[in-house]
Amino acid sequence: MGILFTRMFSSVFGNREARILVLGLDNAGKTTILYRLQMGEVVSTIPTIGFNVETVQYNNIKFQVWDLGGQTSIRPYWRCYFPNTQAVIYVVDSSDTDRILVAKEEFHAILEEEELKGAVVLVFANKQVTITSLVFSMIYDLENPGISVDLPGALDDAAVTEALELHKIKNRQWAIFKTCATKGEGLFEGLDWLSNTLKSGGG
Amino acid sequence: MFSLFYGLWKYIFSKTEFHVLILGIDKAGKTSLLEKLKSLYSNVEGLPPDRIVPTVGLNIGRIEVPNSKLVFWDLGGQPGLRSIWEKYYEEAHAVVYVIDAACPSRFEDSKSALEKVLRHEDLQGAPLLILANKQDLSDAVSSDELAQYLDLKKLDERVYMFEAVSAFDGMGIKESVEWLLEVMERSKRTEMLRARAGVTGPASA
Repeated sequence: MGILFTRMFSSVFGNREARILVLGLDNAGKTTILYRLQMGEVVSTIPTIGFNVETVQYNNIKFQVWDLGGQTSIRPYWRCYFPNTQAVIYVVDSSDTDRILVAKEEFHAILEEEELKGAVVLVFANKQVTITSLVFSMIYDLENPGISVDLPGALDDAAVTEALELHKIKNRQWAIFKTCATKGEGLFEGLDWLSNTLKSGGG
Repeated sequence: MFSLFYGLWKYIFSKTEFHVLILGIDKAGKTSLLEKLKSLYSNVEGLPPDRIVPTVGLNIGRIEVPNSKLVFWDLGGQPGLRSIWEKYYEEAHAVVYVIDAACPSRFEDSKSALEKVLRHEDLQGAPLLILANKQDLSDAVSSDELAQYLDLKKLDERVYMFEAVSAFDGMGIKESVEWLLEVMERSKRTEMLRARAGVTGPASA
């Protein structure tokens, strides 16, 4: 009976909790995203060995966000954190086209995991270059004609969708957002989607 | 012995699962429709229309009716995202195409996107339900007017229907689902998909 009332109470005044994993290759920007969400600031980060965990309160949902280190040697430990996860945020460095294939393989390996079958998937196509940074590098190009600067060739959301083969996901909800963690763009749109999806039943 | 009975039990009581694609250009009301379906047919409360944001990816709605399960796949309709649609064609039993009937300026866009969908060979024989959505708005055109406007060719060999609906107040939605169930149960495409699933082993849900 008490449980019933507790349930009713929490569904009315609901501060729901959700356990979220932030995964992705090393240097994708996971830790920056975590602290941008939690404090609204850009912190300088070092490669994560182990994990960072913070609680982010947003839209009446208490997100317990786990940011796990992404280096090759520690990826096998991700699975220790899989049980009871409602959502996975997969972060991709959109400008790292060389490793997008590795990112895809890791991503689909995660989706295969039995313990994550019920989790919804949110992809952050991170490190989107903004118009301003594009213009800056073009000016640099003009002023230094001898030195060639790689134009930032970040993949957009459609290209990342294609590269990660997101369309192979047929039995769970997914979404992709263009983000720029250092500017804070796209992150809360992603959380909006997450909170909506988790509220309307998820997976 | 047990497995024999279990098999029989499953054979009698298992529900066929149908996959239905919800397509249409952006702002047509696909996700609103999905949420309305959820509210009408399952215990989960769908999201209210004002909380729905543009879809970039896939939303899924599962509903159960007597004898069958329906899985709706709602895909984003922005121009850049339409290339994903075709990846879902192969496994779809039917297509629901949603059009904002109150926005004539975008009918042309809707029409060309729909024609492209219909040309795709992975969707051969899939029943098509075209929804003239947003009937709750006073300037929405009727389903007949929309049909006239779209003037679709090459529809004759396909089972199709136009229906006036409102994902906002729920008008026409029950009729749509009933029609879908009826045509999917006896469509050649369902047989074809079932046969294929049988060959490659039971499809994972």
